[in-house]
Amino acid sequence: MIMRLVSLCVAIVIALVFPLIFDGIGRKIKARIQYRMGPPIFQTIYDVSKLLKTPYLVSGGLMFILAPCIAFASALASITMLPVGGISPISFSYDIFVFLYVEAMVSISLMLAGFSVQNIYANAGANRETMLILSTEPILGVALAMLALLTKRLSIEGIAYTIGVIDYRLLPLVLIAYMMLVYIVYIEGGFIPFDLTEAETEILGGPLCEYSGRLLALFKWALLIKRFTLIWLLASLITIPSVAPAFSRINTVFSYILVLLFQLFIALVLYCSIVANEAFTARYKIDHVISLNKRVFLVSIIFFIVIAVLTL
Amino acid sequence: MKWTIDRVIEIIKAKFGKYIKDMYRPMANQVIIVMDKSAAPKATLFLLKEAGVPEPQLSTVVGTDERPIRGMFSIIYWVSVNAEGGDAWIGIKTYLHEDDLKIESITPLHPGANWYEREIRDLLGIIPVNHPDPRRLVLPDDFPKNIYPLRKEYDYRSKPTVTPRHVFKRPAEGTVIVPFGPYHAACDEPYHFRLYVKGEEIVDADYRGFYNHRGIEKLAESRLTYNQIPFIAERICGICGFVHSTAYCQAVENAMGIDVPERARYIRTIMLEIERIESHLLWIGIACHLAGFDTGFMHAWRIREKDMWLAERLTGNRKTYGLNVIGGVRRDILEYRKSLALNTLSELKREYKEFVDMLSSTKSFIKRCEGVGVLPYNKAVAYSTTGPTARGSGRRIDVRKDHPYAAYGELDFKVPVYKDGDVLARAMVRIDEVWESIWIIEQALDKLPGGPLRAEIKRIEPYREALSYDEAPRGENVHYVMLGRGNKVYRWKVRAPTYNNLPAVPEMLKGYTIADAPLIIASIDPCFSCTERVLVIDVRTGEKKAYTEREFNYLSIRKSRR
Repeated sequence: MIMRLVSLCVAIVIALVFPLIFDGIGRKIKARIQYRMGPPIFQTIYDVSKLLKTPYLVSGGLMFILAPCIAFASALASITMLPVGGISPISFSYDIFVFLYVEAMVSISLMLAGFSVQNIYANAGANRETMLILSTEPILGVALAMLALLTKRLSIEGIAYTIGVIDYRLLPLVLIAYMMLVYIVYIEGGFIPFDLTEAETEILGGPLCEYSGRLLALFKWALLIKRFTLIWLLASLITIPSVAPAFSRINTVFSYILVLLFQLFIALVLYCSIVANEAFTARYKIDHVISLNKRVFLVSIIFFIVIAVLTL
Repeated sequence: MKWTIDRVIEIIKAKFGKYIKDMYRPMANQVIIVMDKSAAPKATLFLLKEAGVPEPQLSTVVGTDERPIRGMFSIIYWVSVNAEGGDAWIGIKTYLHEDDLKIESITPLHPGANWYEREIRDLLGIIPVNHPDPRRLVLPDDFPKNIYPLRKEYDYRSKPTVTPRHVFKRPAEGTVIVPFGPYHAACDEPYHFRLYVKGEEIVDADYRGFYNHRGIEKLAESRLTYNQIPFIAERICGICGFVHSTAYCQAVENAMGIDVPERARYIRTIMLEIERIESHLLWIGIACHLAGFDTGFMHAWRIREKDMWLAERLTGNRKTYGLNVIGGVRRDILEYRKSLALNTLSELKREYKEFVDMLSSTKSFIKRCEGVGVLPYNKAVAYSTTGPTARGSGRRIDVRKDHPYAAYGELDFKVPVYKDGDVLARAMVRIDEVWESIWIIEQALDKLPGGPLRAEIKRIEPYREALSYDEAPRGENVHYVMLGRGNKVYRWKVRAPTYNNLPAVPEMLKGYTIADAPLIIASIDPCFSCTERVLVIDVRTGEKKAYTEREFNYLSIRKSRR
């Protein structure tokens, strides 16, 4: 119980700080690829903290103010369902569904924010976000369901630990589920070419274009946390099956720290490679993404059926 | 058979002989045919549509207040013969009496004339009868009636203050308006496209611009001398200024009958091509940025820096070279600079090749450009589009080849033409042109002849007129000059390429999405400051407070003091 409480605190601290630092590292990497100096690594922290001090303008109803708060709360809540240092702060069976919902809440509040104002660009952005989550959430659902079927667990922590001891003949299928997850993390994280909700050169930041000051900071922060959470999910599913059983034979605290460091390292590697890939792509249009998603969804359904037949 | 100017004249004589009142040749390749008012629009349309001239182009329409000379207004429709079919410029001129300032509009049959006729209506008060668009183009909609800034009695200093208001098309049933500008992240200058949108699809589009008039033409006629104008001409555009000063100088040289020394012509050619490389790289960068591909943006501009540096070494300035004067150029390219230029170019070539390879292997960028913003060949002809916009739609026109000026007649180069008419085709034209430009500079440096830099101006015969043209990075750039008395031009008309390309953009936008809009608009490489050069009014605010220069200086010093 104490470990879970400690884990909760650690998770929240990580979720508040690391997304900003990762973003800073990402900016630096992109700058180097583009032969620029780039901003300091802590630039995103400076940006957010400065915005947090600035007043904001309200251009919509109550939803306009609530949306960033809901997004921020949901983003924070979603990371608490993931294993941090091998222990999920909040874990119960079926928490996989709760994770899906909470994760989607960030996108939903972005949509609501976009529709809450009378601004054609915000509305267009919200429209795009709607189409985006309607076409990607099912794939995330199927990918997690594949893992749940393979491991016969419905909690994320359970899935992560069980994959470590899974029958090696099922490993190719696990790999396929992982590949789906990578795809989803990329899209839901809003990395180029999938940053079309904001798409500054087209629709001026979409739902965010009416936001300013504190509310903007909250929204940006929430989106970065969401991005980080998705990568953290992937990092956990890689780290825990591979190293956690080995470390757990040593002292609990020591193993906790080691697993945490490993997770952070893997997350950083994943983040950097995504960012590097991002630097070499242009933004897609919404119809490109929808048609791509349709194809991936079809493939994922086929694999899901294969897994269902094999395991049940 | 080549289309010589005599052949064109014969054809016109055969059909419109009885209406022709006068005919004179300002230059070997230019003719001005003075016709009856009733026949001039018909003759222009005949040349554009029926005469069978290769790639005919309505290059410019010049309206002039000639009352102080002849007691009448005049209009000249300049039609050019292109596609290497012959070097001919035919000016169909007609005089209009002050009591009857009406002329049949040619826009219903040739949409490319839309802006010209509206501009002449705004600035001179000559009314095109049956013109489909009754709105103003250059002047704000609430500019006082019956005041026409390009008439000679209008003082260039007068500023009728007005509150800006622009009338837009009515949106169709069930569409939403997406305002694109005057301020938008993708606008590099203030302009305003109104997109009428269903979902994300653009159903219709409207353009209102001319927020930036600086009244350059009026200013030149009123208070600048012949040799001051090249410097202000260069400031028409911040990117392709040198083409404007070259075209102006050539126009005056043509009118005065000056032979420019060979060396000066070569130096002009070299600088024109350096400018083209700079402009195209800038465009490629912006296109990448608009598609969200910032790595392409940064690298394009990094490579462009080499070219800018070279320009600085050769002329003293990165931009606005200040090189042209009437009769030649002001600075020489010294012998030891040649190797410097060649080395820079070879470095540029290497880096540019790497960049183009990277760009063409970025599938997502290609995907964004392919099949988007298609301008079919017949539309490209109907709107008289020019430059890469026209060549991307399969029009084989390039002033450098069709009407050689400076040293282009003596140099070897290809004109890339693509037939698809989409954004990618226009991008490919520009990408290929950079290679040709480098090749042209290398040849010109190699062949650079000796001799003087500048010819002497001997005699200025007033009211002689001539046309001049060059190929700007954005297309055909046409200047018309009528000489005046007292070391001043009587009329100077600038027609920048974007003036012809921009009216075609609403056609390109229809049927595509909001996501495509910035890229499509950018694909013609629009240059709004070039297009909007006509009038001295503070359209931005319409405020009545006028700052004196001293107050203004004081304010700016106070603002920058910390």
